[in-house]
Amino acid sequence: MNAFNTLERRTQFVGIGFVTPTFLVIALILVYPVVQSIVLSVGQSSVDGFEPYRFVGLEHYAALMDDERFWRSLSVTLIFTAISIPLELVLGVGLALLMNESFHGKGLARLAVLFPWALPTALNALIWRWMYNADYGLFNAVGLESGIIGEPVNWLGDETLAMASMVIVSVWKTSSFMALIILAGLQSIPRDLYEAGRMDGMSRWQEFREITLPLLKGSIMVALIIRSMDALRTFELPFSLTDGGPDSATETLSLYAYKVIFEFVEFNAGSAIVVVQFAVIFLLSLLYIFTLRHKD
Amino acid sequence: MNLVKKSAIALTTASTLLLSGVSVAEDLVLSIGSRGYGAAVGPAIESFEADNPDIKVEWLKISDVPSESRKLYVTSLMARSSTPDVFAVDVIWPGEFAQRGWIGPIGDAFSEEELGNFNASFKEAATVDGELYGVPLYVDGTQFFYRSDLLEKYDLAVPQTWEEVISASTAILAGENDPDLTGFVSMWAKIEGLFMNWLSFTYANGATFFDENGQVRVNSPEAIEATQTMVDMLYKHKIVPESILNMRPDDARTLFQQGRAVFMMVQDFVYAPLSADDSPVKGKFDFTRNPYFEGHEGAPATAMGGFLLAVNANTEHRDAAIKLLKHMTSYEMQLSAAVNASKSPGLMNVYDDPAMQDDEVLQKFGKAYAAGVVRPSAGTGSLYPKVSDAMQVAITSALHQSKTVEEALNDAQAKIEKLLAK
Repeated sequence: MNAFNTLERRTQFVGIGFVTPTFLVIALILVYPVVQSIVLSVGQSSVDGFEPYRFVGLEHYAALMDDERFWRSLSVTLIFTAISIPLELVLGVGLALLMNESFHGKGLARLAVLFPWALPTALNALIWRWMYNADYGLFNAVGLESGIIGEPVNWLGDETLAMASMVIVSVWKTSSFMALIILAGLQSIPRDLYEAGRMDGMSRWQEFREITLPLLKGSIMVALIIRSMDALRTFELPFSLTDGGPDSATETLSLYAYKVIFEFVEFNAGSAIVVVQFAVIFLLSLLYIFTLRHKD
Repeated sequence: MNLVKKSAIALTTASTLLLSGVSVAEDLVLSIGSRGYGAAVGPAIESFEADNPDIKVEWLKISDVPSESRKLYVTSLMARSSTPDVFAVDVIWPGEFAQRGWIGPIGDAFSEEELGNFNASFKEAATVDGELYGVPLYVDGTQFFYRSDLLEKYDLAVPQTWEEVISASTAILAGENDPDLTGFVSMWAKIEGLFMNWLSFTYANGATFFDENGQVRVNSPEAIEATQTMVDMLYKHKIVPESILNMRPDDARTLFQQGRAVFMMVQDFVYAPLSADDSPVKGKFDFTRNPYFEGHEGAPATAMGGFLLAVNANTEHRDAAIKLLKHMTSYEMQLSAAVNASKSPGLMNVYDDPAMQDDEVLQKFGKAYAAGVVRPSAGTGSLYPKVSDAMQVAITSALHQSKTVEEALNDAQAKIEKLLAK
């Protein structure tokens, strides 16, 4: 009995020994910033030490409740996520199915699909900003030349169009990421399931509904969680494409927080925005995880 | 200056002398953009090091776009870094940086005579609570560019007032009947440049940001009227393309350079590309000072930009730093930057130098800058970024017609009053 206890304790120690370094690293790079943001958000201080830290409770959060621009950026973020993620998912599944077929030049096609994902977002955004330009951009030039549009469209100058433009760039860029994860899922589906289905006289559509989709659920969930978190944190895209404009029509939470922190140099108020954003992402992740669990 | 400060300076001077006596080299970091003033910086450092063998200068090249270099400064200065020792600050930063304790006062290093030569609006922008925090490096600002060939074709005089700009645009647009041609372009995207634009317009109508009692007054009848003119240029007179609401300075420059705009109000850096050999408008354009409104002849309307040099408040080499600052902003340096890099001097006496007499462009720039409008950065200090943002939001909502001009400016007034009351 005693010997067993010692052994068990020793195993425990070894286990803790192995886990501790990892835990410390995670705590350092993950937990510390989160805790620090929360601490900053309930206090008033200046980072250069002119003003010592003083606890102010929920003052900054209360100010956010009255801040039109905060609500606008929250809704911009949610709308952007809600529109772009489903589009990316549909396109991503489609691209993955295509890439999974065997055809001539498949390697090249896969490379082409991955290309937008490989380009840095800031660079992407600049290229698109040029193409969207109302006076000398590509889209208006092609549109006017071919007679599709009668007069120049002010892509990034109209509130609705600017949001649509941003969604298009995001979908163009990140559908391939969805496709990549879903393709990995597709390739893990055993071939014989399809053979069995064919023997039972299933149509291609039935195959997709009954075999492919259910077995893809796992990878779709992973892709959705990663992309949704990304979309809720979107920063470089509006930063380089529209700078949040026109007005604040494309100002996401991240961009607003950045402006408050680095332009206004108000770390405490900015941290409150960041904490709210963290909460939104956290809730959404919980939602995804619960949906995943229920279905299994 | 109080006794403590004096003795502190005496002490540091003494210790610097001691240090240089035993010839310990001092390393200074100087941070200036590489494009704007760039051509003049390298030789200036060389001559400084030759005169001061004890001091080594490292040139930290930063971006000439203020919002870019600002990020760099904010992060290192917030951490109370002692470098860069001497650095270029945008004309709107001294108020904020001084209040945050990032740059130190340097007035004691300059005589009355030297101070008298500073561009007046720059001196105003660099003076916080009666102390001088920066020395002009070079000045720039908004200028009014026009297509001289088109004005000539329609036998029109160079517009002096906004009323004339509108009527000339209308006449030329009607005559040319070219869907690609537009009357006026500028930077009306929601950026700092929009606030500069607004100041140009409102000051040209006799408005001022602070009233005679020093109180903020952005919704005066004059300001409302001028802002309404901006809105009307878009929707009523239709001499401004709606894409202007997205334009940054270089977007406007591109259109004007393609020959697709009659008038343009942007900073003077566009002069070089517009007059380059491959420019379609080379020889077909000219510029003048910004227009004013009828009845406000001569009102200052040139929104000032440009850079000053300041000394880091936490520098470990204050005396060497001030020596370097004085060298970099000296008469000779400003003259050399004007002649070699076409940068308008921030010392007014440089314009009288024989070497500059023939430079018509810089002479004209300089004349406009003597009547400059300085942004309210010294008076609002660390709150300036928020004040400017509030104004950008208000002007944008008026230009997008989501609010009437009066509503928008009343909102801005209330917001800024609340900000400054804290």
